[in-house]
Amino acid sequence: MAEFSWDVRSPLDRALIAGSYGAQGDAGVALTEIRDFDLVQVMARRGKAAEMVKAAQARFGIAAPETPKAVDTADTALIWSGPDQFLVLSKGGKHTIEALAAAFVGSASLSDQSHARALISISGDKARAMLAKLSSIDLHPDKFRVGAAAATSMDHTSITLWRGKDRADGQPVFNLLVFATFAESLWHTILDSAAEYGVTITHSEKLA
Amino acid sequence: MRIVCPFCGERELGEFTYLGDAKPQRPAADAGEDAVYDYVYLRDNVAGPMSEHWYHGGGCRAWLKVTRNTLTHEISAVEPAAGAGAAKVGA
Ligand SMILES: [Zn+2]
Repeated sequence: MAEFSWDVRSPLDRALIAGSYGAQGDAGVALTEIRDFDLVQVMARRGKAAEMVKAAQARFGIAAPETPKAVDTADTALIWSGPDQFLVLSKGGKHTIEALAAAFVGSASLSDQSHARALISISGDKARAMLAKLSSIDLHPDKFRVGAAAATSMDHTSITLWRGKDRADGQPVFNLLVFATFAESLWHTILDSAAEYGVTITHSEKLA
Repeated sequence: MRIVCPFCGERELGEFTYLGDAKPQRPAADAGEDAVYDYVYLRDNVAGPMSEHWYHGGGCRAWLKVTRNTLTHEISAVEPAAGAGAAKVGA
């Protein structure tokens, strides 16, 4: 039998070229791809939503979002993804599907999305202006506050968008999860949209 | 046109897919051929408020029941369709 060796690579491995892009000078947009994360979809079984909420509280010590929001614990983000469902985003193998299975047995169905999505963090003083070209969501700071989330579409592609904690310099951070097979396409669209502001491109192993 | 999704809030039409009339109910298994024919094929061509199914596929992926005036496109009500959100309906 043939021996296979699977090489884990980011869906943006080819498209992402670290460095600067577009207009010269101070970059208005920073794009950081976050790699190597664990992502688990948790969906309540019929009539078990209240039990799922209880199980999440017991597991994470915090209420899972029941409206379009993202909440942080010390080592995870719980991100609303639809009615009676949320995503568990973490690093370091602490909240893998195997680790969560026992906590949600009987109340929710779990689905491992770790290698099914790309995670892009968008920040900078022109992040909002750039996203406004691609999104129909109102991202005004008073409307889309830190912790706000949306299941929406961007460039005809389903995405999960949420606002992270502001950067140390006070600039807003928007996190975006996109299906792996659409990531490269959306990445190029984002680059086109951001080019006029100047872009700094990196990838990181750390959650924003 | 925009639809206020009960889960997501106000969203543009492009995030939704139209299914059609939300009124027809699946007949009982022994209801007979005429009832099934009506259910599958016969639709009222409503001029005015109509109950419709819409799918928020570009958002939360929930099915919605929308009351829309077919003459003006005015939407007077949006609610989760049966089964959309385990806690909200049919729990
Ligand atoms: Zn929705």
